[in-house]
Amino acid sequence: MKLLKMIIRPTKLDEVRDALSTLHVTGMTVTEVRGHGRQKGHKAVYRGTEYSVTLLPKIMIEVIVTDDVVDDILATVIKTARTGELGDGRVFVLPVDQGYNIRTGERDVM
Amino acid sequence: MRLLHCQDKGSMTSLITIRLSRLLRRQSLLSSGFTLAAIGLLLALYVPSSFAQAPAPDPAGIVTGDKTNVQDAAGNSFVVSEPTDKAAPDYADKKKAFDEYQAQAAKEPLAVKLADGVGHVRIATNFAWTLNTGYLVLFMQAGFALLTCGLVRKKNAGHLMMLNFAAYVFAFIAYYAVGYAFQYGAAAINAAPGNLGGVPGLNKFLIGSGLWGFVGGKGFFLTGPAYDAGSNVLTLFEVVFMETAGYIIVGSICERITFGGFLLCELFMGAILYPIFGNWVWGGGWMSQLGNSMGMAHGYVDFAGSTVVHAVGGFAAMALAIVLGPRIGKYGPDGKPRAFPAHNLVFVVIGTFILLFGWMGFNPGSTLGATDLRISVIAVNTNLSAIFGSAAAMFFWWFKFGKPDITMACNGMLAGLVAITAPCAFVSPTFAVVIGIVAGILVCLGVLLNERVLKIDDPCDAISVHGFCGWFGAVSVGLFADGTYGSGWNGVGATSYLGAAGRGVTGLIYGDTRQFVMQLVGATICAIWAFGGTYVVFTVVNKIKSIRVSREVEIQGLDEPEFGLLAYPEDRAEMEVNA
Repeated sequence: MKLLKMIIRPTKLDEVRDALSTLHVTGMTVTEVRGHGRQKGHKAVYRGTEYSVTLLPKIMIEVIVTDDVVDDILATVIKTARTGELGDGRVFVLPVDQGYNIRTGERDVM
Repeated sequence: MRLLHCQDKGSMTSLITIRLSRLLRRQSLLSSGFTLAAIGLLLALYVPSSFAQAPAPDPAGIVTGDKTNVQDAAGNSFVVSEPTDKAAPDYADKKKAFDEYQAQAAKEPLAVKLADGVGHVRIATNFAWTLNTGYLVLFMQAGFALLTCGLVRKKNAGHLMMLNFAAYVFAFIAYYAVGYAFQYGAAAINAAPGNLGGVPGLNKFLIGSGLWGFVGGKGFFLTGPAYDAGSNVLTLFEVVFMETAGYIIVGSICERITFGGFLLCELFMGAILYPIFGNWVWGGGWMSQLGNSMGMAHGYVDFAGSTVVHAVGGFAAMALAIVLGPRIGKYGPDGKPRAFPAHNLVFVVIGTFILLFGWMGFNPGSTLGATDLRISVIAVNTNLSAIFGSAAAMFFWWFKFGKPDITMACNGMLAGLVAITAPCAFVSPTFAVVIGIVAGILVCLGVLLNERVLKIDDPCDAISVHGFCGWFGAVSVGLFADGTYGSGWNGVGATSYLGAAGRGVTGLIYGDTRQFVMQLVGATICAIWAFGGTYVVFTVVNKIKSIRVSREVEIQGLDEPEFGLLAYPEDRAEMEVNA
């Protein structure tokens, strides 16, 4: 089992969710996060005074999937979430030891 | 304080005395000083001054408004009074008119009786007008609360709302107790409001007399001659104007002032700073009478309060902002200002529109009567200055910084409104436009001056909008007034002025240099009074006990530490467990 952490633009959330559902991804956790990459955000102006915006709002989607579908999902998500501009986001793949369903108590097999 | 059951009266008295002195000793020196001063003031001023001769006050409104109040459109009185000055050149004509009136009155007594009804209706019309425009000005409280709340950071939203709310409450208390009496206690002498039936009982200066009055002396706690129908109209109308000056200071002191310090500011504004200058200009005091006493044109003229209200508030705000110092983090170590973006522009715009709407009461209402038909010109002038102020500010900012700024568009409108407040009755629409454009640009320059050069932190730009533009508004009376209105203003030139019959307040462009000088001097006196008085008093107060919150409280935001509540409680991450 793998955990896919996807940090994407907030405007791309609906598209990515639709793409994930066509790939039969059954559950997900979505969080509102803030952060920046190498560019460290950008500068804005308020009433003639410049100020830095370093923590930009993003959406993080976390899904747990079996190892065999990871590559398909990665390719789809990256294609869907990409705009070509700075700030498109990142995807990370982490190993998962175990997963349990709280209602039924059974171990996730996926 | 529990009273023990005592047999001996003497021991009970000494017991009460011991308990009272213990209570007083527990209070700090400052607060017990204030307590004693308040008690002393109460005792000293609550003595009804029954010595001056004046008609009895009319609390029920049943003797106000009669044939003596009947006038035609031009202001000619229906009742012709007997001329008293036998040596005057027009005595013969006046005596003839009086004799004719007497003869006709004898022939048609029913017409004379009807005139009493007409006079009453005229006064009633003006009562309704003045009260209703006063309610519009009251509504401006909501506008300013929204405007300022939107302009500051989210963590202080509750604090801003409480400041605006408490401002209304506490400044009112001060004005009710002594402010109205200081400002209008002598109105009958030089500034009787004829449109409301006059306030004949308010006829004594506490300090000064005749043409050199400084502080009024009747009507404390709205008792005695102030418990009168006509006087109460004036009270309602003038208290909401005072409240405007009261909330202006909120704009510059917010996000770092303690609530206790703020209450002192409001009491000071309502009791001393506003009413005394208001007496000088509107209450028949010395500045209004400089035309009579020193030949300075019509004396100092300020129609609806560019200086009496706005500059007093704006320059007091400036002094307080300097005493308090800038917000933490406003200026970086290199001295450059940092941006604290507004947290809710929706509030800012709605607030501005409410203020514009309320100004329809502020300016036209200052005629104190719907029977003064100049009210329409005033209303249009007010709007013209507002929109041209906004447009000018928008384009200026667009040109200078590349984008039109919403907050400066709003400030530009308010600047235009403040600047037209003094001249609105005296200028033509053309010059209302000019005043608006100049004010719109002036406010932008003022904001940049305060923030970047003087380094005075003014979160809501109260100093530029109300202080600088208020000063300019009063001066523009002396520049652009065209003489079509205001004949006999401040008791000058009732029959003719500058060679023309019926000519009113006139400015430099139309040939009256003295009025221009008077306006320059008067507006500057206002700035010195408001800034100096506030600066001196609050530097002392600040030394006794700081009126600025601690560093930790300021960084956290004042909502919770000062009031125990958050304006936006969802900002606090908390788990609530309901059993």
